[in-house]
Amino acid sequence: MFHQPRDRAEALDLRARWAGDATVLNGGTDLLVALNRDAIQLRHVLDLSRVAGFSDINRENGHWVFSGGATLAKIARIPVAALARAAMSTGGPAIRNRGTIAGNLGTASPAGDGCVALLANDAFVELTHATRGVRSIPIADYFTGFRKTALLADELITSVRVPADWKTAWQKIGKRGSINISLVCGAGGVSPTGAVRLAYGCVAPTVIRAKSAEAIIDRDGWSDGAIEAAAQAAMKDVAPIDDHRASATYRRAMVGVVTRRLLKELRP
Amino acid sequence: MSETQVPQVRVTCTVNGAAVDRDADLDRTLLDFLRDDLGLTGTKGSCLEGECGSCTVILDGAAVNSCLVLAAQTQGCKVETIEGLANGDKLHVLQDKFLASGAAQCGYCTPGLIMAAKVLLDADPNPNEQVFFEGMEGNICRCTGYAAICEAIRSAAKEWK
Repeated sequence: MFHQPRDRAEALDLRARWAGDATVLNGGTDLLVALNRDAIQLRHVLDLSRVAGFSDINRENGHWVFSGGATLAKIARIPVAALARAAMSTGGPAIRNRGTIAGNLGTASPAGDGCVALLANDAFVELTHATRGVRSIPIADYFTGFRKTALLADELITSVRVPADWKTAWQKIGKRGSINISLVCGAGGVSPTGAVRLAYGCVAPTVIRAKSAEAIIDRDGWSDGAIEAAAQAAMKDVAPIDDHRASATYRRAMVGVVTRRLLKELRP
Repeated sequence: MSETQVPQVRVTCTVNGAAVDRDADLDRTLLDFLRDDLGLTGTKGSCLEGECGSCTVILDGAAVNSCLVLAAQTQGCKVETIEGLANGDKLHVLQDKFLASGAAQCGYCTPGLIMAAKVLLDADPNPNEQVFFEGMEGNICRCTGYAAICEAIRSAAKEWK
């Protein structure tokens, strides 16, 4: 069965009723890749692409609130530097027109550019059930393992809240500017009170933060020496693997490069 | 899963201005629906993961990879493919310029490139360098080296209506 709900309540009801038996679809840029590889079979499809208002982006109480269906093309125009640049670096226009923020979070790829950007400025992910209501999960608690998240089978990722007043930066190492999956990507964020966040993709089973590198900047400030120490620490915080795209050694070295670039851009 | 077990979906949309109303498998991609069900084989499939752009069509005015859209998702939508561009024997200006510039070798990527270029120029007939490359970065050609392709699109832009 193909379900194409027109409003949020209907979408949540269908999700609660079918739970894991229904495959949630929006832009299809991840799901259809799996389908084309015969990796999945479809019985019930819950297509969220026609839910009214589900691609809206609003400014509320100092936050950007992205509805789950906000496309990468729309996000690329929002003035949150890391997130906008992560969105712009994902695929070409045909992917950005279809791919969504909830899709990025639902797939929870360790290479998810958008996930890395959200992790670097303390976003909140809102998971909603038809009757139990909304759970607002700090992004740091959302990713629980390789492609595993806090999302339950009967919930939808309804929105993502991102503070609007952080300074953020973005770096991606890949064979071309976009289109290609990142070999290593990183995002940095500095809160209005000076808290530092450093997040990376493609260097662990989930997107991850380099907490010991963050702690060095928190403690020692933004001198060249502190930035170098943080870059060295970040290279130890990550756990990359060898694969057909790049070696673990190369990825670890690039974490150092990305960290230096992010911190120099964010330096007050 | 055998053919008969795949749920069927009624697909009602417009393809190149013609109304389409027929059943399709739930898991039918728009690419396969166009090629195998409607016989519109101008749209080419290649990577089937959204990297190459050869299957690019226009869905309600936006470029999409038809390999990554379910046919079922096109309910009520307007689909445009390479077959819809020429007016009888008169080629569309992009087709004309691709020929004039020698912008194809094997030609497999050409329909996708032309559909992406149409979206680009419909939005901005005089794109600057950045807009041009952002508009075309989803389409890969493995033969030509791109110079002739860019020249073809630039010269079509000069005559864009």
